[in-house]
Amino acid sequence: MAMSSLPAKMKQTVRPGQWELDRLLLAVGAGDREAFGEVYERTRAAVYATVLGVLGDHHEAQDVTQDTFVRIWEASPGYRSQGSPMAWVLTIARRLALMSLRQGARQGELTPGEWEAIPGGEGPSEEALILRETLGTLEGEERQIILLHALSGLKHREIASLMTLPLSTVLSKYSRGLKKLKKRLEGEEKQ
Amino acid sequence: MTNQELEEGLARAVAQAAPRDLEGILSRCQEQNGKVIPMTKTKTAHPARWRALVAACLALALVGGGAGVFYQNANAVTSVVSIDVNPSIELRVNKDEKVLSCTPLNEEAHIVLSEMNDGKDLEGAKLTVAVNAIVGALVRHGYLDGLSNAILVSVEDKDQQRALRMEEELRSSISEILEAQAPNATLLSQTLTQEAGERIHPISSGKAALVNQIMELSGSTDDDTFDKLSALTVEELSDLLTTRETRVPIGCAAAALRAEEYAGTLSLDSATTEVDPELDKKPAYYEVELHTAFGEFEYKVDAFTGEILSGPANVVTMTQQTFTPAPETSATPITTAPPAVASPLALIGEDTAWKTACGNAGCGVGDVQFAACKLDYEAGRPECYELEFCWNGNQYEYEIDCYTGAILKHEYEYCDETAHGHHGGTGTTTPSVNVTSQVLSGEDAAWKAACAHVGCKVGDVQFAACKLDYEDGRPECYELEFCWNGNQYEYEVDCYTGTILKHEYERCDEVHHGHHALSGGTSNSSELIGEDAAWSAVCNYVGCAWGDLSYSACELDYEDGVPHCYELEFCWNGNQYEYEIDCYSGEVLSQEWETCHNGLHGCGGGRHRGRGHHWNG
Repeated sequence: MAMSSLPAKMKQTVRPGQWELDRLLLAVGAGDREAFGEVYERTRAAVYATVLGVLGDHHEAQDVTQDTFVRIWEASPGYRSQGSPMAWVLTIARRLALMSLRQGARQGELTPGEWEAIPGGEGPSEEALILRETLGTLEGEERQIILLHALSGLKHREIASLMTLPLSTVLSKYSRGLKKLKKRLEGEEKQ
Repeated sequence: MTNQELEEGLARAVAQAAPRDLEGILSRCQEQNGKVIPMTKTKTAHPARWRALVAACLALALVGGGAGVFYQNANAVTSVVSIDVNPSIELRVNKDEKVLSCTPLNEEAHIVLSEMNDGKDLEGAKLTVAVNAIVGALVRHGYLDGLSNAILVSVEDKDQQRALRMEEELRSSISEILEAQAPNATLLSQTLTQEAGERIHPISSGKAALVNQIMELSGSTDDDTFDKLSALTVEELSDLLTTRETRVPIGCAAAALRAEEYAGTLSLDSATTEVDPELDKKPAYYEVELHTAFGEFEYKVDAFTGEILSGPANVVTMTQQTFTPAPETSATPITTAPPAVASPLALIGEDTAWKTACGNAGCGVGDVQFAACKLDYEAGRPECYELEFCWNGNQYEYEIDCYTGAILKHEYEYCDETAHGHHGGTGTTTPSVNVTSQVLSGEDAAWKAACAHVGCKVGDVQFAACKLDYEDGRPECYELEFCWNGNQYEYEVDCYTGTILKHEYERCDEVHHGHHALSGGTSNSSELIGEDAAWSAVCNYVGCAWGDLSYSACELDYEDGVPHCYELEFCWNGNQYEYEIDCYSGEVLSQEWETCHNGLHGCGGGRHRGRGHHWNG
């Protein structure tokens, strides 16, 4: 008798839009490297955003993003279809980022040179400005929530679950963060 | 710029900045091993020997002291966490991740948990705190810093998301302990996506899952194989799975017995063994270190046949021919040979060593806590008993001559003054360490302190949240957030003394919510109308039926932590609408619409914005 066999009722519904990711993760769990490449393409930005939100540092976030995908590969045999595959992926990303933070990953504002080293970070484009202000203006949880909402497709309640915060906190920080960001960007425009 | 445009711009920038190195990642991806997830093997130089003790003391003090305040209403088991080395311990956890029960599943687990009232002291504790206490105890009992050192953590929960999060949290927490105190230990973890039901084997569900995976390799289903595999350590099982070995090894105990038989030391009381399974080697073997009064000997025992592959036979005969005890000397540290007492090889035993150490410290043997004793060897010969224990707020280390009972060395360290307020003696000067037995004041006390400071009653606050914040693994303060009387408050309250460490507040949006400002719960108009009423208000306003809408979404929006309005999005009659509805009065606060020329995603029409004004599309 296999203790780890999955009861039939565990094959639960997966949110529309995430079926493909769910299917891919199951394939990765069976050792399919091609599927892993597809998962990487689909979740790369969301994983990076999650990690960047926690660490606030591009270079550290790059390393932890890579570690996250290695860990996804290792953990995928235990993956089961159950709700939100994206949340499963981002749970790993977030935990590794928090571990990195505890182990003394640097946090702080990037120098102009470091900003320019980030693809898309250079120049006065609107996107670069938004990213710069997101990382520079917002406090930790506001930054994480806004990045997660913008990149992952997770709903506020899923973000609350991922970050183990009350939904009301997520909603207020999201709202407050966006307002701050808009205010800063409007200020930039006026200058 | 709208919120959506802002998020889209951010998404484009992040997508561009995100790394692209699939090749690099794939080169780091090894073969997957079934459903067990091999974890990082950390190696750190020179872990501080007292750290294990300190960590365990700390965790135990917290758990023991704070148990009373952890009890909550929810008693339903949502997850089962098992920890297996050779001791097997099962923790049943509720939805708040508080421990409902801690059960030792074998004799070794009873010993590990003996100082925690057989696990009962952990009931009510936060899961991570309990697991840290257990891992600290495992380290202290030598299960993770010796030669055999793999720990398996399994999380069983029907909610995969929660199971994975708990697994990651536990991994993170245990990794830190192992890095500092057991750098050679390997951490394995797994999640079992299944109902956290009753155990059906005498071993933990986590270990049973591991055993079943090995049995699946051989296609075996018989109970005898299951029982034999169940008796193996996690390290042995992990090696079998890695090498895909289908035979059942003889086990550490049998290997040690074979080595002792071969060495001829079975009749000696003083001989001890340490066994390291090397089942991932070809051929697989057990490495047995045999410690005797004559010296230390090493054997390799075939893992499946029990045949001795290497090592000396009959060491007693061999060494008696060459070993001559030194003449009787005073109680000085042994350097070259053991002193001759009543018998040249007779050890005084651990009991006598404890009596000597405790007598010197001025306490009874039964009074000490977190006690550990081990026989230390020098040049293959027993030299002294090393004893470590806590008593009266101090930590003691003694070295007792194992033949004469003389105290060779002793020292103690002061505990944290603020925690205990008492320490004395003339022990060697060492840096102070934090061994706290302080009791958490509890969330209730924190709420009372914060509310008293604000000048309100605990029952009056709204949107309240409280969490225990840690600093360097030690609880530091309660962080509280709440709204009262139109303000949003944030407090940090010392979790031991109830002292307010920090507080701040900001005004809520009074302009809009003047009619429902929070006022100590006295306002009857602060009740939300609910999503249904919001939809009803919008449909009445627009003049449509709710059933005709498509792509509808509703979200409660907050301003400074206070519910502000319902944001409703929907498509109807070829237009996409966004409405904000006052969540207390149902009043339409704003509306936006876009004409969809090409279905929902082809919006390109004009934008109209009104306030309290119906646009008839």
